[in-house]
Amino acid sequence: MSAIMDPTGQSSRQVADGLALAERRPGLSGATVGLLENGKQNARLFLEEVAGVLRERYGVGDVTLRRKEIFSAPAPPELVDQMSAESDVVVIGVGDCGSCSAAAIADGVLFERHGTPAAVICSDAFKATADAMAQVQDAPGYHYITTAHPVAGLSPEQVRGRAEQVAAEVAGVLAAAASRQAA
Amino acid sequence: MAAESDAAREAEPDPDLAREAIEYCYDHDWTDGLPVVPASREIVDRFLAATDRSADQVLWRMDHLGRECTVQTAAINAAMAGCRPEYFPIVLAAWDAVMRDRAAKGGGWQSTSGPAPLIVINGPIRNELAINCTGGIFAGGFRPNATIPRALGLMLRNAFGVVPHVFDQTTQGIPGRWAICFGENEEESPWEPLATEMGLEPDTDGVSVTLTRTYEFVDNRHTQDPEQVLWDFADTISRTGVMIFRSQSAGIVFCPEHAQMLAAGGYSKQDVKDWLIEHVGRPESALRRAGKDGVAQGGAGVRSASEAERVPADEFSRFLPGRESVPIIVAGARNAGISMVFRVFGEWSNTSVAIERRPSPVAAVGAGQGGEG
Repeated sequence: MSAIMDPTGQSSRQVADGLALAERRPGLSGATVGLLENGKQNARLFLEEVAGVLRERYGVGDVTLRRKEIFSAPAPPELVDQMSAESDVVVIGVGDCGSCSAAAIADGVLFERHGTPAAVICSDAFKATADAMAQVQDAPGYHYITTAHPVAGLSPEQVRGRAEQVAAEVAGVLAAAASRQAA
Repeated sequence: MAAESDAAREAEPDPDLAREAIEYCYDHDWTDGLPVVPASREIVDRFLAATDRSADQVLWRMDHLGRECTVQTAAINAAMAGCRPEYFPIVLAAWDAVMRDRAAKGGGWQSTSGPAPLIVINGPIRNELAINCTGGIFAGGFRPNATIPRALGLMLRNAFGVVPHVFDQTTQGIPGRWAICFGENEEESPWEPLATEMGLEPDTDGVSVTLTRTYEFVDNRHTQDPEQVLWDFADTISRTGVMIFRSQSAGIVFCPEHAQMLAAGGYSKQDVKDWLIEHVGRPESALRRAGKDGVAQGGAGVRSASEAERVPADEFSRFLPGRESVPIIVAGARNAGISMVFRVFGEWSNTSVAIERRPSPVAAVGAGQGGEG
């Protein structure tokens, strides 16, 4: 009698302690915002529109847009360092394909571990892969923001509408008590 | 008499035990849906004896998934796929070859496209291991052709955890995703073998792999004019459905009849590529009609519907950017003019990987198994 061999190579895998989120500022007023776009169709516009709403309603400060060169992989450490140095909070997106949705979640976790609050926006068609990536990153249950699929084919007006829809949740994820600034 | 039948009974495998072991693998979610062959230490050691690589050597690591595959894990999966130990060097070379593909290194395996590896084998190993190169290369029925690609699929699933509906986000995929593997029909090809074209020494055992998205036949057997046949291929290759980027890559698995007709008409493999590069494409109006006339700046140039006409409607857009985007292989039976166009997912590395064999131990294992062939 011999044993059936395990084909996963997983028997000795170490599991870390889960994710402790970065410390939140009380509100977003004056906070500098980094946008990490993945090059997918409409991603840049979506993030810029979200930033526009954050500026208008929550009074955020300077906004810096950065692009991830390889959408399917997590952001390189230099980019995470750079964005963490120049921004108080980051918004990441838009997860709109098999690999880039998972990678966006990995990015969010990377920034949190780096001490920078992050909000990840992902199409709702990719929840399963996003949740699985959170598990892989030892951050089960990691909270991200979803928007209805698809994103790529939307008109600029539709993208603006979507940004409006998610902005409050993005603000809520980025700050402890993000409240609408008095106009 | 009684002793003899007892011995015969003893030698016969127990189907209930086999079934139980197979169900054990299903229970652990280690299969691609079909039954796998449960792997024991003993059989895995025979796979490991077929390669010079050490069992704990890491073949590949996917950092973003926190997973890796060692030579031993590959051996377990190859055994489970139904490979014989002597196929294992091909599995290892095929893995190395597919991972030269930029898309495979990135997120290709997680892609909504659900690409399939196309595995082409060259050299004497084809005949030694009875790898099908002729009739029915896409149609199944041959153990190495069926089990070598399946081994890659199981490695991806089990070792890297890329499982359908989770990290594998394939929208529809393609039929036979893990079943596309054959030898080139070098004996009936008028041209040099693919592995030789890609720089390996002639008669070297080599494997070439690219990721593909679909396969479409071209049936043309009633003309003597090679150029008419080429026009027929150009029409199939030129459809707009595949145009997601500025340009595309399409290969052809020529049946011997088409390849020989083209060669007799004076076409080398490179001539065929050049002819196709010149003639494959569509007028801009066809792209505009399909909402693909816009081309993004930078990167691969993602296509989308553009608001204004970008170029004149009657201007001809060529789709194939260069010879490296038109892989050509010869395989199948020499009994009809039926060839296959395939679509490369991304860009093929345009390389072949030499298959590293360990002749003596493998031969001994083969002999020990009673010379099945």
